[in-house]
Amino acid sequence: MSTLVDAPGPSADPTVRALPSRVHDWARRRPGDVCMREKRWGIWQDITWATYWEHVTLVAHGLAALGVTAEDRVAIHSENRPEWLYADVGANAIRAISVGLYPTNPAAEVSHLLRDSGATVLVAEDQEQVDKALDVEEECPDLERIVYVEPRGVRDYDHPKLTSFEELLELGRGHRQAHPDLLDRAARQTSPDDVATLIYTSGTTGPPKGAMLTVANIEFAIRSLLGSDGVFHPPPSSDDVALSYLPLCHVAERAVTTWTNADSGLVVHFAESIDTVQANLREVQPTLFFAVPRIWEKIHAGIQVRMSAASPLKRLVYAATRRLSATIADELVANGGVHTAKSRLLYALGHPLVFRALRERIGLAKVRGAISGAAPIAPEVLRFFFGIGVVIQEIYGMTEQSAVATVNRPGRVRLGTVGEPLPGTQLRIDESTGEILTRHPGVFAGYWNQPAKTAEVLDADGWLHTGDVGEWVEGTHVRIVDRLKDVIVTAGGKNVSPSEIENQLKSSPFVKEAVVIGDTRPYLTALIGIEFDTVAAWAQRRGIPYTTYRDLSEKPEVLELVQQAVNRANERFSRVENVRKFRTIPKELDHGDGELTATQKVKRAALHERLNHLVEDMYGDRRRYAGGDQVEVHGSADAEGGQAPLGASR
Amino acid sequence: MSALRGRDTGARASRAGLRGRPGLVTDYARDQAIWNTPAKKAWTLALVVVVLASPAPMYLSRDLTSLLTTVFIYAIGGIGLNLVTGYAGQVSLGHAFFLGLGAYTAAFFGGESTATLHGLGLELWVWLPMAGIVPAVVGFAVAPLAARVRGLYLAILTLGLLFVGEHVFKEARSFTGGAGIGRAPAEPVIGGFDLYARHTVLGVELPRETLFYYLCFALLIVLGVAARNLARTKTGRAFAAVRDRDVAAEIMGVPLLKTKTLAFTLSSFYAGIAGALLTVVWGRTTPENWNLFLSVEFLAVILIGGVATISGSIMGAAFVVLMPRLVESLAPHVPLIAGRVGEPGLLTVFQLQGMLFGALIVAFLVLEPRGLFGLWLRVRNYWKAWPFSY
Repeated sequence: MSTLVDAPGPSADPTVRALPSRVHDWARRRPGDVCMREKRWGIWQDITWATYWEHVTLVAHGLAALGVTAEDRVAIHSENRPEWLYADVGANAIRAISVGLYPTNPAAEVSHLLRDSGATVLVAEDQEQVDKALDVEEECPDLERIVYVEPRGVRDYDHPKLTSFEELLELGRGHRQAHPDLLDRAARQTSPDDVATLIYTSGTTGPPKGAMLTVANIEFAIRSLLGSDGVFHPPPSSDDVALSYLPLCHVAERAVTTWTNADSGLVVHFAESIDTVQANLREVQPTLFFAVPRIWEKIHAGIQVRMSAASPLKRLVYAATRRLSATIADELVANGGVHTAKSRLLYALGHPLVFRALRERIGLAKVRGAISGAAPIAPEVLRFFFGIGVVIQEIYGMTEQSAVATVNRPGRVRLGTVGEPLPGTQLRIDESTGEILTRHPGVFAGYWNQPAKTAEVLDADGWLHTGDVGEWVEGTHVRIVDRLKDVIVTAGGKNVSPSEIENQLKSSPFVKEAVVIGDTRPYLTALIGIEFDTVAAWAQRRGIPYTTYRDLSEKPEVLELVQQAVNRANERFSRVENVRKFRTIPKELDHGDGELTATQKVKRAALHERLNHLVEDMYGDRRRYAGGDQVEVHGSADAEGGQAPLGASR
Repeated sequence: MSALRGRDTGARASRAGLRGRPGLVTDYARDQAIWNTPAKKAWTLALVVVVLASPAPMYLSRDLTSLLTTVFIYAIGGIGLNLVTGYAGQVSLGHAFFLGLGAYTAAFFGGESTATLHGLGLELWVWLPMAGIVPAVVGFAVAPLAARVRGLYLAILTLGLLFVGEHVFKEARSFTGGAGIGRAPAEPVIGGFDLYARHTVLGVELPRETLFYYLCFALLIVLGVAARNLARTKTGRAFAAVRDRDVAAEIMGVPLLKTKTLAFTLSSFYAGIAGALLTVVWGRTTPENWNLFLSVEFLAVILIGGVATISGSIMGAAFVVLMPRLVESLAPHVPLIAGRVGEPGLLTVFQLQGMLFGALIVAFLVLEPRGLFGLWLRVRNYWKAWPFSY
């Protein structure tokens, strides 16, 4: 079996159209059509292509007036909102490079990113982000100007580098009159090798590195992902509706929002904030929906919690349709995600009872393309959504490939895999290490100012070393085993993929974080963080009093609950892969505390170090901290004043 | 600049992706529309079609047609009371006075002059508006008094108004006919065409109640929509602000006196219209008809129907008007209830009506203060949240 798949598709094309010219095209052809909506004052405000392009021009001229020229970096530190796109595309329009910062980035990381990228202008959303920038402004010599979008709270700041977004547009207006041909000239000079954006990788191990994506990279990604043999079938069009809510500085959301919008004219709706995603989803009812596993898990857990609090009749009806959907899911899984006559019939039966209303409640009533990516997801969660008729296509790609690698195409979905290579992608699995290698025109130009790091992942032949271990399934689909460096080798010499076990654990609605440990250890253990909302609701129903997150996660009843989740996960794996012991994490992990990356991925090393006492507690056969082994659970010895471990019966 | 930052309001802005997405509200007008959901629109339309298209008035017995007409009139009066009591929170026991005032104003303008009674003998298009305007003016005149007090004191004040009014009605014999005698109602005549007479339309002979039934329904629609519209405007929000806390409302810049006066004036207008129409159905009315019991009946309309809702007022009116009739027709099938006076039995049907009425008001106040509308809300929310419970 050949391990190389060379999917036919677009290659590096001479007729590259950069994002600004695509937006300009739309503004010329359909100036009055709506391209985005932003919820303000409780109303979804329409934004047309003409307005979009007008702002892009003004921002571009405004940046030029501030002295930004080709290859200068413009940093954007904001939640998703139209101004993000204006700044991003506006910077590109004068051949400057945009750099996205995560809204959750603490000041220290902001400092690192600004210094590393050497950004001269920072577009900061509001007082929060401005404060971070001002805190570290002295460490960033290149930073010349901070443009704030929301004047509230910043208006009275007296700082020579501060400028409001309005003033930037005003500057742009003046500059445009003086240099009316600036953008046309820049558009003509734009070459496919121009770096369009730096996308900083989340950095689970070291400090974030800025991946340089060129105009040609983005062009390839658009053609490959959104082409006729791409992710969606039929490809996206201006009739499609999407909700933008994941950080735009991540390559996936950028592809979904900025690139797809500029290519197909899909109407992007900006969620008010990450907390209102569920409500906004319900209002917007997107046709194309991309979510990370965490969001899918959250929707799934939310349904279970709300159902368990529903009235008896509703619970009864739901339980009945759960049986239907289990069968529907099986049929869909066996048939590549396409309905069979049987599943269609069952679905029609459950549709008026539950499915129609349920999908409307969670905002997936009109979805025609549901995508999960950026991290592995538990098959149980996928099955659940299959069962209510939402066929989630898992996608695989990384920043360094412009998000292009493999996808489960509609009709050829294979559960547990990330699908088949996208058009134009060469994909190879290294014989010795099992590492996935890809090569295509979307492979990045290198890490910003880090040739050594670039050489580690990009070899002389242009193959990108993804660092993911994968294997072929039936010669067509790729299954990701784990991150190469995360694979655990136990003391017994057995290779174990922790992410599979962790996802299995996380498919329980009560488990939010799970970190499996066992490298060079005799058996596997896990650190488990509970999902506060669901566990709190569960405790309330049982009348279990609790005070804080930590208190709740150390309750014997809760430990018992977690133990059940662990036991259920263990049933699916062989004995060596079983989690023997666990300890609960006494706090909610947080990006600001350095335990999570900006994309909410666990920084294993940092967590290990910080919770080493819990790990040693498990392998040292002590029971000082709350947790459980397969036989019984025990509270924290500290909390119980050094008493004997609590029995399971309590 | 703000034009750029703001939304694109041009008509060319497409309605892209709005179809089938009721939650995706892109303008304020749609957000605040009276019929802001498709379901509401459908229900209202269905109701109008049923009332208009149903041949009910042609085939129903005449007294049932009258009864339904009374429902519409009570609904108009109930909406009026709801404006002042439900929306603006000013308890009024004087509603019957304004109904009576409207009735006698109509009789004065629309009735014929006789030896003992004044009357101008004008047509409906004069006396109906006057029946609204005169009580509105009186309401406007007494409102400053009422606006100075609240709660229990307001209730007593309006009660006093009722007694003063009843006395005036009894003494102003040349207008009202005097105690125990009363006078005939105004004639519903438009351009020489008597609405309250037998007519033959397209070969079908209509009973005399039929056209008046349609007239009252049309008035209910117009006045109901007007009130619903008022409730969603600045004025309506001012009413609610005054109801929820008058001190806070005033601090926010809602003029108390003006708002309360407006509420009383509007409420009196609605009451006057309802009173004038009511006399046409009732026939001869004496000053004793406009007593405390009628006020309480209208309070029951809004309490049972639903405070501060228009559709609740209509439901409440239907309930209050139709319930006695229902009890009456069921009474023969229930043991120990005497259908008529003199029949053996524990209770007469009238006693039962009174008791049921009282019991229902108590029950609604305790169990479902939002009234019939509240019951409807519960049913609606049950299905709205399906398959969840919240």
